[in-house]
Amino acid sequence: MDFQALLQQFLSKGVAHQASTFDSLWIFLPELVLSSSIILMLLARLTNVDRTIPTHWIALLGGMSSFMIVLYQFWQISLPDAIPVQIFTGLAMHDPFSIFFRGFLTFFLVFVIVLTVLTGIPDDEDAPDFYSLLSGAVIGMMLMSSANHLLMLFLGIEMASVPSYALTGFLKGRRQSSEAALKFVVYGAGAAGVMLFGISLLAGLLGTAEFPQLASRFQAVFAGREVMQDPAARCVLLALLMIAVGFAFKLSAVPFHFWCPDAFQGASAEVGGFLSIGSKAAAFALLVRFTLSLTGDSTGASQGLALTCGLGLGFLATLTATFGNLAAYSQRNMKRMLAYSTIAHAGYMLMAVSALLVLQSGNAGPDAAYRAIQGLLYYLCVYLFMNLGAFAIVAFIRNQTFSEEIEDYKGLSHQAPVLAIGMAICLFSLVGIPPLGGFYGKAFIFAALFDATRVHWFMWVVLVAGGVNTVISLFYYLRVAKYMCMYERPADAPAVAMPSNSSPGMYVMLLSGMVVFLGIIINPLANVALRAAHAFL
Amino acid sequence: MPQTGDYLMFLLTTAWLLPLVGFVIEMYWLCWSHRLSKGAAYFAVGFIGAGFVCSLLALLIWGGATGWSALSGHHGADAGHHAAAHNDGDHAEHHADDHAVAGHATEHATPVKKYYAGTYYELARFGSLRLSLDWYIDSLTLVMFTMVTFIATCIHLFAIGYMHDELTEEYEDHEVHMHGGGHFSRPGRFYLFFAYLSLFCFSMLGLVLAGNIFQVFIFWELVGICSYLLIGFYIERNSASTAANKAFIMNRVGDFGFLIGLMIIWTSFGTFQFADTDSHDSPEAGLFTMIRGHDGRLDVSEDGKQVYLRDASGHRAEQNGQPRTITYLLLVAAGLGVFAGSIGKSAQFPLQTWLPDAMEGPTPVSALVHSATMVAAGVYLAGRFYPMFTPEVLLGIAYIGCITLFVAATIALVVTDIKRVLAYSTISQLGYMMLAIGVGGWGAGLFHLVTHAFFKSLMFLCSGSVIAGCHHVQDMSRMGGLRHKMKITAYTMLIGVMAIAGLAIPGTSIGFSGFYSKDAIVASALAYYELNNAHFLLFITPLVTAGITSFYMFRLWFLTFAGQPRDQHVYDHCHENPKIMTIPLIALAIFAAGCAWGGEGGPLFRLIADSELVPAVERVVSVGASKVTLPSHQGHDSDVHHVHATAGMLALISAFIGMGLAYLMYVQKSIRPSDIRRQFSSVYDFLLDKWRFDDLYEVMFVQPVHIVAAWCVSFDRKVLDAILHGSAKITVLVSGWDRKFDETMVDGLVNLVGTVTFSIGSSLKVIQTGRLRQYIMWIGVAVVVLFGALITAIPK
Repeated sequence: MDFQALLQQFLSKGVAHQASTFDSLWIFLPELVLSSSIILMLLARLTNVDRTIPTHWIALLGGMSSFMIVLYQFWQISLPDAIPVQIFTGLAMHDPFSIFFRGFLTFFLVFVIVLTVLTGIPDDEDAPDFYSLLSGAVIGMMLMSSANHLLMLFLGIEMASVPSYALTGFLKGRRQSSEAALKFVVYGAGAAGVMLFGISLLAGLLGTAEFPQLASRFQAVFAGREVMQDPAARCVLLALLMIAVGFAFKLSAVPFHFWCPDAFQGASAEVGGFLSIGSKAAAFALLVRFTLSLTGDSTGASQGLALTCGLGLGFLATLTATFGNLAAYSQRNMKRMLAYSTIAHAGYMLMAVSALLVLQSGNAGPDAAYRAIQGLLYYLCVYLFMNLGAFAIVAFIRNQTFSEEIEDYKGLSHQAPVLAIGMAICLFSLVGIPPLGGFYGKAFIFAALFDATRVHWFMWVVLVAGGVNTVISLFYYLRVAKYMCMYERPADAPAVAMPSNSSPGMYVMLLSGMVVFLGIIINPLANVALRAAHAFL
Repeated sequence: MPQTGDYLMFLLTTAWLLPLVGFVIEMYWLCWSHRLSKGAAYFAVGFIGAGFVCSLLALLIWGGATGWSALSGHHGADAGHHAAAHNDGDHAEHHADDHAVAGHATEHATPVKKYYAGTYYELARFGSLRLSLDWYIDSLTLVMFTMVTFIATCIHLFAIGYMHDELTEEYEDHEVHMHGGGHFSRPGRFYLFFAYLSLFCFSMLGLVLAGNIFQVFIFWELVGICSYLLIGFYIERNSASTAANKAFIMNRVGDFGFLIGLMIIWTSFGTFQFADTDSHDSPEAGLFTMIRGHDGRLDVSEDGKQVYLRDASGHRAEQNGQPRTITYLLLVAAGLGVFAGSIGKSAQFPLQTWLPDAMEGPTPVSALVHSATMVAAGVYLAGRFYPMFTPEVLLGIAYIGCITLFVAATIALVVTDIKRVLAYSTISQLGYMMLAIGVGGWGAGLFHLVTHAFFKSLMFLCSGSVIAGCHHVQDMSRMGGLRHKMKITAYTMLIGVMAIAGLAIPGTSIGFSGFYSKDAIVASALAYYELNNAHFLLFITPLVTAGITSFYMFRLWFLTFAGQPRDQHVYDHCHENPKIMTIPLIALAIFAAGCAWGGEGGPLFRLIADSELVPAVERVVSVGASKVTLPSHQGHDSDVHHVHATAGMLALISAFIGMGLAYLMYVQKSIRPSDIRRQFSSVYDFLLDKWRFDDLYEVMFVQPVHIVAAWCVSFDRKVLDAILHGSAKITVLVSGWDRKFDETMVDGLVNLVGTVTFSIGSSLKVIQTGRLRQYIMWIGVAVVVLFGALITAIPK
């Protein structure tokens, strides 16, 4: 192949709905910007420029500019004649859904960087490493959200995971932190191994690794057979289950959540916040895309598959939410409690995916399915603010009291009302009390579940479990609020000062304000989420 | 390409919102400046002044769009009117009351858009019912905007001087006596005064711009609040806080009726909007079109009990195949309800007693809020809502206005407090406007609204100037001869007095603004009387009252400015005010004298009359129970035109008689007021007691309320409390049992649940051993177990 042919291939459109490699690079610009910001940070360190320009400015600039580019892309794809395209010869997908998540993740990255600047968790010496890892993880998550190929699925998950391991162990001096990181690595490796096994099984059985072809191949292979009783189909199920292990690991769904409490307790609160939101969002993006590609239009053989997947995920979701909430009860460490709370929330969000698949199998029409996706996306957005808010407040309090025990939060509302009120708002929203954002997130998801009950009775069980879980989660969240507001601050406790006009105070107010805002003004975000959902079906 | 409507909307919205910005800045003035700074006032003046510029621009744009029809008089609509008049003239015998011809003529009269309307934001939509923020702009809106912003600018300027003594850290209020014998003192509230004024301007402009009746109601209440705050500006004074309460409560009485009207409208029409919405694919009819269609006529059923509603195209609206109707009585009730709101706000009989007390507020407030703008909002509403009124309602409005104008004028004869004279005169003039609207003189009423706003705000500012000059003396019996010391105040005031008295040079058409507007009202009343002889009072009263008005206004001027000083102390210390207070007087005086230039052929009247939606071109015979006939207005053949000259002459004679009497009594002293007082002492006392309305209300409402309240208290104590105590005892008894049940059974259950969940939670902790080897093993175990579960539980 001579140079001319190569160039031709580089610039040509190729197959329909596929962008040329050159166009793909343009579409890939946000990731490239982040990558170059990583390189810049490392170079700056090498040349000692980081003494004059703090590294976080470079990281912040990278995050913001890639967010801007994503915004521009979202505007562009919203134009009437814009169509979704596959990039890099079908390895990744460029549609409103992936753009939504890339925007979500870069936006989130900016917030996390600001938080770390405010709490000062990486010192100047470590900052380039820390922010490189952070940005790298985000690139991996963005890959996850646009992956369109089994290979990309694996690569994305790993690329998001590996920096996370390092981030968890970033508090180098602390034994707990290193232990947590080690557990995380080994557990992650185990889960990745199982998932890889599953991926190879699936690719082998269906003869393709490209998402868009999975469904048609499946239908072709199992056409006319009594699907779910077929041994080969069971093999597919086993493959899917093994892939699900990888997802469950990222989502910290029960029973693959063991790493989560240990890792969260060991890692700093900032990293905990980052992991609990970023990797979860990316994993959900990938899960939705993967399962919808797998089940396709849910006709013929795929219908049973969709139902099985949906019910299986529903079962996992119920288990996860219940377990997370129950285990959170008796925790005394705030970060550990929040770790279990994130497990429970993964359960709630998993319910949306389960409802989506069940609705698909029942051919309930695209509108119901859109609503399920919309609910998931709305929940994720609210979750960004409320969970990050909670973790941020934990970090701010830790900086002053050097403690993360719930006992030590006693009477904080008298010394730092901003923190106490912000925390109360975030916690109430995590419970799902109106008129906060969390309520509408839950309401959307429960509405989707209710829709799904028409298809299969088991969704009633999931719905009731979701409701009951919401109620019991009230107690352990409220306990924190009670400690903060109802008690006097013990005399010997270290004083906490957080004026509302300090920048951390503003940051907390911004996050909790957004939680309130999303509970009052719902339509704009819900419309954006709906538009993202329209990428499918 | 933006249309004229967009420009107008943009300009007026800017003018409307600027004072709100001002309010926010001034309210938090102490956050960025100090108490002694005049900056707040400059902000307020700047914003309202900018609002005036915007309004004026809008007016110019409107003029351009309509081809300056107000000046030239060749308007599409007018052409139609002329055509109608022409037709009527040709076939007078056949078509005197033929609706078809007139209707035909008005259909021709639509090429020029009479109004622009639109929606800012839709708040909610419940099925077919919708709630939104709208705007509605016609020439009336524009005139009101320009008038309000101009007067407000003048008054803001005046207030900078008038409120000067608030610019202090330690303001001593001489009217508040403390127990220790001293006076109450507090920090000055200069900035706060301007903040309230700005809020008021915002609310008032919002009221005028509002495009639906519910929005009007919102701003209606907002101006009410501002009025409350401003009357009670010297809240430490007992009289001020009482007056503020009185104003607020009496207004609520009227608003109660308003609310009922709103409910009827909401349920019967399903919309609050004035204008049709044409932005959607299927245009929805607004209130006016629903009731009046495009030809301005009520479509009443044969038996007179139902009114057919129209759709956006002007035909009868249908719902499920049935024509949509509203019961005639319900429409009357809705009209009366909304008008009840006007009664409260415009201090009409029987709710007029709050306005004189409202003079407790600072004088600029009296000038802006309680004479020129807010109280006129009632008239404005009656005018704006005119298409919704049935002839019965109009008759009611006319009589209410008639009673009010007479009662208030007679009280004004005997009052000696300079501001109270003006207050009663305001009530009386508002009565004139209501009367005009009631007798079908829509244009005349709103014309008078504008002219009155100018000369009344002028006179209030003059009185404020006098009060400030005389160091807070308000009693006219202690003044006299002040014209030597306060030249500008005295002569601008004289212009105001002549304007309100409605003086003109006999035989010519040169007169003060009040002459033209009052003349228009009296002419409408006369034409109405000629068609409905039974209602002769509606003509006699305003005519007589025109004389009374002239008398008491000149009495005021003579007592204050002419003759010899009656209190040397006051006279000696009196002085003319600085320029910042006198320049607004001069500006207003120019408008008070000349704004109505040209009378009913002049630009102002034409501009206002342009926006009349219900054609008053031809005589309208009422179909309702009251059987009244509304006179025709425009054109050379109209009823009003016939009687115009007579009415003008009669009113002028009446005014001159009043002026002459005042001159004889207070300057020549050839008739001694004290003799008359002695002669008619019972009448005098009756008037001095303000027709004993306050006593009447005390007996009719306040005391019964007290008595009923006392009953309620004793009922509460003797009956309800006894029942309560008894039930409490029983409850204690039962709860004793309940407690035992609770402690053993329920608590046991709850504790059980709590313990179980907690122990499950704790036992779950056991799984989390922290041993890595176990964790990894769990992966394998979980995969196997889940796969087993999956295979067994696969949906068959």
